[in-house]
Amino acid sequence: MYFRPDTLDHAVQVLASSGGQILAGGTDFFPSLGDRPVTGTVVDISGLGEIRGVITEPKYIKIGGLTTWTEIIQTPLPPCFDGLKAAAREIGSIQIQNRATVAGNLCNASPAADSVPALLTLDAEVELASQVGIRRLPIADFIVGNRKTLRQPGEILSHVFVPRAIENAASTFLKLGARRYLVISIAMAAAVIQRSSTGHITDARVCVGSCSAVARRLRELELKLIGAPARAELGLLATAHDLGDISPINDVRATAAYRRDAALTLVQRALDACARGS
Amino acid sequence: MKKELVGLRVNGRTHELAIEPSKLLLDALRQDLQLTGSKRGCDDSSCGACTVHVDGIPMLSCTMLAASCEGQEITTIEGVSEHGSLAAIQKAYGDWGGAQCGYCTPGFIMTVKHLLAENPKPTEEEIRGALSGNLCRCTGYNQMYQAIKAAVEAEQKGMAAAR
Ligand SMILES: Cc1cc2nc3c(=O)[nH]c(=O)nc-3n(C[C@H](O)[C@H](O)[C@H](O)COP(=O)(O)OP(=O)(O)OC[C@H]3O[C@@H](n4cnc5c(N)ncnc54)[C@H](O)[C@@H]3O)c2cc1C
Ligand code: FES
Ligand code: FES
Repeated sequence: MYFRPDTLDHAVQVLASSGGQILAGGTDFFPSLGDRPVTGTVVDISGLGEIRGVITEPKYIKIGGLTTWTEIIQTPLPPCFDGLKAAAREIGSIQIQNRATVAGNLCNASPAADSVPALLTLDAEVELASQVGIRRLPIADFIVGNRKTLRQPGEILSHVFVPRAIENAASTFLKLGARRYLVISIAMAAAVIQRSSTGHITDARVCVGSCSAVARRLRELELKLIGAPARAELGLLATAHDLGDISPINDVRATAAYRRDAALTLVQRALDACARGS
Repeated sequence: MKKELVGLRVNGRTHELAIEPSKLLLDALRQDLQLTGSKRGCDDSSCGACTVHVDGIPMLSCTMLAASCEGQEITTIEGVSEHGSLAAIQKAYGDWGGAQCGYCTPGFIMTVKHLLAENPKPTEEEIRGALSGNLCRCTGYNQMYQAIKAAVEAEQKGMAAAR
């Protein structure tokens, strides 16, 4: 069976009654099938205009789950989104960015999902809609493992909420792949740095991705950065010790040791870039 | 899946197709509409040979259902010629040897058409970035970059001449 509901209300009903699989942009959905045909019930949510686009609310910037990466890149947003925009530009190719959605990247929950480190540094929350209503939880709680989330079968990720408290902070995202374009991350880092009028850091968020089942915030490093002057070579404050409990794996793309080394360099460069930009 | 009627607008014409709703847009174009310009070059959405425009935006027709496109305007390589003759970029690909076997070419042309519509004077770096979602296994890319630059120049000369 195939359903293409045109309202979120209808979509959660159909999802509950059919137990179908959600199809959004399809850029994870179809490649995972290889050359097998689609089977089972599909709830195609690509027509749900109401959960697409970005809205500025008093306390949050609210991103519709179906917003594409191209739309994120093209929407004027405050500086704390520079990191998320940089991540969006790294997702696959232009054709992929034109189709792939924010919610799809989060629900697919790959350890190499490029948007996750940036959204974690923004303390973003997800909103999940189901027949019984909506609930909200931090992305940090939502993604629990390699391709594992707390999404219940009847839930649609309807929005992502980004608190505006630090919207003017500098932010960045850096990704290392085996080539320039169309590549899965070997390691990646996102950073958000807010500084006071005297140039001292008042808030710091740093996150490393592709080096553990779920991207990790480096809390110890963040604490260490607070109060430091935000100037060139800020990155030197980060050391191998600060990578703490990341647990990179050996795989076809890189060894664990290489990933650890690359992650540190990316963190240092990300901090330098934020210090220059803030 | 049981067949259903799916309404598709392709290259300015409306079609009612009795197809399985699970049918990929690429397969509907090739099998049901005999528009075989768009190609399948991979099974993991990575080659770009199937690129078409959906409401003017390049997307991979192998990675979406035909049924997802109801109400949208699809343009394939068959729809890019201008008044029955080759578009400037198609002609430039021919003139500059931008195609050898040609399998990847329709996908590239769709990508380049969109690039030039958004950015009529792209830099080499912008061209490389824009084409990064399309793969070619035989021609190599330099001839294509040359073809694109030639098409850009031709366009500018044409515009200057028209002034
Ligand atoms: C060639 C290629 C390159 C890629 N490169 C990258 C890359 O560099 N970096 C990267 O991070 N990703 C990459 N991806 C993966 C993919 O493009 C992204 O993860 C994308 O954001 C997924 O979004 P989608 O809308 O296409 O998801 P879909 O494929 O439609 O869905 C993905 C999963 O999420 C579920 N889902 C989707 N939307 C919702 C929702 N609103 N609520 C609940 N569940 C939902 C679906 O059921 C499915 O399980 C690449 C993919 C391809 C094909
Ligand atoms: S056939 Fe290769 S990307 Fe569509
Ligand atoms: S011309 Fe043969 S694959 Fe590109």
